[in-house]
Amino acid sequence: MPRNVDLICDISQISPIPLEAHFSCRAGEVLAVVGPSGGGKTTLLRMIAGLTLPQQGHIHCGDVLWFDAKQSISLTPQQRHIGYMPQNFGLFPHLSALDNVISGLDHVPKALRKQRAVDWLARVNLHGLPDRLPAQLSGGQRQRVALARALAREPAILLLDEPFSAVDRETRERLYIELARLKQQLSIPVVMVTHDIHEASLLADKMILISQGQMLQQGKPFEVLSHPNNEAVARQMGLRNIFDGQVVEQDIERNMTWFTLGDELIVSDSVPALTIGQSIRWVIPNQGIRFNAISSARLCKSLNKLEVLIESVLVMGESSRIIASVVGTGSMINADVPTHLVHKLALGAGMKTSIALKSEQIHILSNGRESSQH
Amino acid sequence: MFLRNIINTQFFYPLVRRLRAGGISLLCAVIGLVGFSSVSVASDAPAIAAAASIQFAITEIARRFQQQTGLSVRISYGSSGNFVTQIKHGAPFEMMLSADEVYINQLHQAGFTQDEGVIYAIGRLALAAPKGSALILDSDLVGLTQLIEDGKLSRFAIANPDHAPYGESARDVLKAKGLWDALQPSLILGENAAQAAQFTISGSTQGGILALSLVLTPEFTKRGDYVVIPDALYHPINQRMALMPHASATTERFYHYMQSPAAQEILTQFGFNLPKTVTEKGD
Amino acid sequence: MDWQALWLSVKLSCFTVILLIPLAIIVGRWLAYRQFKGKSWLEALIMVPLVLPPTVIGYYLLVGLGNQSVIGQWVEQLTGQQLVFHFSGLVIASIIVNIPFAVQPIQRAFETIPMDIRDAAACCGMSRLRIFFRVELPMIWPGVLTAMVLCFSHVLGEFGVVLMLGGNIAGETKTISIAIYDSVQAFDFDSAGMMSLVLLLFAVSALALTTSMSKRLGGHNSASQR
Repeated sequence: MPRNVDLICDISQISPIPLEAHFSCRAGEVLAVVGPSGGGKTTLLRMIAGLTLPQQGHIHCGDVLWFDAKQSISLTPQQRHIGYMPQNFGLFPHLSALDNVISGLDHVPKALRKQRAVDWLARVNLHGLPDRLPAQLSGGQRQRVALARALAREPAILLLDEPFSAVDRETRERLYIELARLKQQLSIPVVMVTHDIHEASLLADKMILISQGQMLQQGKPFEVLSHPNNEAVARQMGLRNIFDGQVVEQDIERNMTWFTLGDELIVSDSVPALTIGQSIRWVIPNQGIRFNAISSARLCKSLNKLEVLIESVLVMGESSRIIASVVGTGSMINADVPTHLVHKLALGAGMKTSIALKSEQIHILSNGRESSQH
Repeated sequence: MFLRNIINTQFFYPLVRRLRAGGISLLCAVIGLVGFSSVSVASDAPAIAAAASIQFAITEIARRFQQQTGLSVRISYGSSGNFVTQIKHGAPFEMMLSADEVYINQLHQAGFTQDEGVIYAIGRLALAAPKGSALILDSDLVGLTQLIEDGKLSRFAIANPDHAPYGESARDVLKAKGLWDALQPSLILGENAAQAAQFTISGSTQGGILALSLVLTPEFTKRGDYVVIPDALYHPINQRMALMPHASATTERFYHYMQSPAAQEILTQFGFNLPKTVTEKGD
Repeated sequence: MDWQALWLSVKLSCFTVILLIPLAIIVGRWLAYRQFKGKSWLEALIMVPLVLPPTVIGYYLLVGLGNQSVIGQWVEQLTGQQLVFHFSGLVIASIIVNIPFAVQPIQRAFETIPMDIRDAAACCGMSRLRIFFRVELPMIWPGVLTAMVLCFSHVLGEFGVVLMLGGNIAGETKTISIAIYDSVQAFDFDSAGMMSLVLLLFAVSALALTTSMSKRLGGHNSASQR
């Protein structure tokens, strides 16, 4: 695979839809573009591909300038030499799988095209089906053909639009592994649009969060998940447990902040610059809520014990959703607990029990109550 | 099977590609062909416009003409009004035989004819009905009056008085007999004299007032009956013809042939009156 | 049975289809892919020949292309022949009158091509022309076929425009529909019936042939659309 080039993208526009994004994706890196539907993710991808033009900004790929609004430069998708996999794969319905892949091989001498296409199909693990029409292939097979076609181009970058959304769960799991394997072999930037944060966490080295055309945060998926910039990001990332609090004390040296949740005192490892008495919003991810810490009688400083009254337990297969109110505060906790644990601890509605919040997982959102001020 | 093989991917696209290569040149060739070819075989036989109402008589006269002189003409039958418009916009007719005088006069005023032309025949009217119709035919239109008063007349055809001379005269007749208003609800207007005749014998009307020359033909008498309407009931239908400025020698000969005794005999056979002053103008 | 008139009609239909369809493909594609202000007005304008009476269209064409018009005089200067009352004029008139029959089905066919496919084709590196021949044309082929059939049959039956613009001149502009009319006017019902039957058989077989071809081609397309 040629070209160890990086993608740099700085674009903004106001109409027809507002969109603002500034990021880069290095060669060999997978960048996930995450966000709710209609937020501008696909538009962004199409801008990188050259299928639509942003109003302002510029896009570079290595040394090549792909788009610059000021200089009125814009390369066509053909000139940008990209691999693009649209959401529904975009396979040409009247051509066989082999012919579909051959469509991406215009840069190869005619005599070599067929063999090259066969090789690419083998490389994406699609054997023995070259003459089938797309209608005769399964979802996962179609996806591989589309991928082979995109890669056959030997592109400078690879763009994937919700590559796994049209595929069933089992195939999706297999494809995750394939893409992870492929990632190691490719040394080109890969930009992947997805609305599934879990997928982003599995596959991406870096992610950006786009909502309503605004880039809310970028960074490693784990980072964004554990340290969301603000409440909007937290909600986008699926974090449900966001609460108010008031700062009581801070100890910067020991990395500790104390604040109140109603009458309870909570301690956190997060130490942004705060003043005593300041109102804050804070968030804790699901992994930070422990139900079975109660069984061990050990107490250490990192545990924040809270009494809760379980309002409901909703069993959903292997995982159960527990909604409980924190006694004395009126705040509601939303937690996903493995069903076997629910049974083991005999948790049920109307029951009072204790939970612990892991201090290292508690994250204080910056700007305090910014969500209500917007 | 064969078609499927053609459409088969392997064949189709190379074929299309080759077609495309020749496509542009094909297109040019086609346009050239259309634009520059004179596709008509009979471009030597001059085009003549004639009113639809005189077609049987004129066809016969043209046939005799060809027998006698070996020359042929291409006659297009239609509505005189349309012909006037077409001639004004470049229709290649070399001569026009109208069913009245108005249209020839129009063309003459506008400078499209050599001169004011001549009256070649005087048209006459007939009251006609399809076989089996309830209408009793008589030259005083008593039967028609009766049918109307009995309320049994549902449809009656004439040519459109607004632009067909035979229709105008039919209106004269009906007004003279005081039947015009009573007939309004049942009146069917043919676009020209021939269409009025059409309506009459098709069985969809009980009768009509038509051009006598159309009614005298065997094709008509097979399917309908008629009676001649007295000339006194309507203004004479003077039918005029004229030559266009670019008329060829053949057409001029035909023009003169139309005024010859041979032609006049045919015209009389077809129920036309002859103009008394045929030698005063033209020939 | 006026074979000359039938031949003239068939020739007219063929020329119209050959010239109109490529034009309709270009226009249909442009309309399908572009959004712009006034697009609905333009689409309505394209539909106009459907709602105007043919004789009216014929009259306006006569005025616009005849020897009193700029275009007519220019053509006469250039080629020594007129457009009106000439086969070439009929071809032009047929093209204009059949624009809605050609553009509509083709435009709809282009509109059904999913955006994903067009995007993928562009990103495969194919030039616009190549995308058209390799991807778009095979996918819109049923629409093109429909347009061809509609235009062909419509031209075969054209009357008002041909009469007005053609002048019913045998061997030049007397098409079979006019020949049938003439026969009826001359009470020659046998001849009229014969010609009508021939025309009917011709049109029906053309329609049946293209419908069956369209099914074969459309078959593997429709099954694969998600």
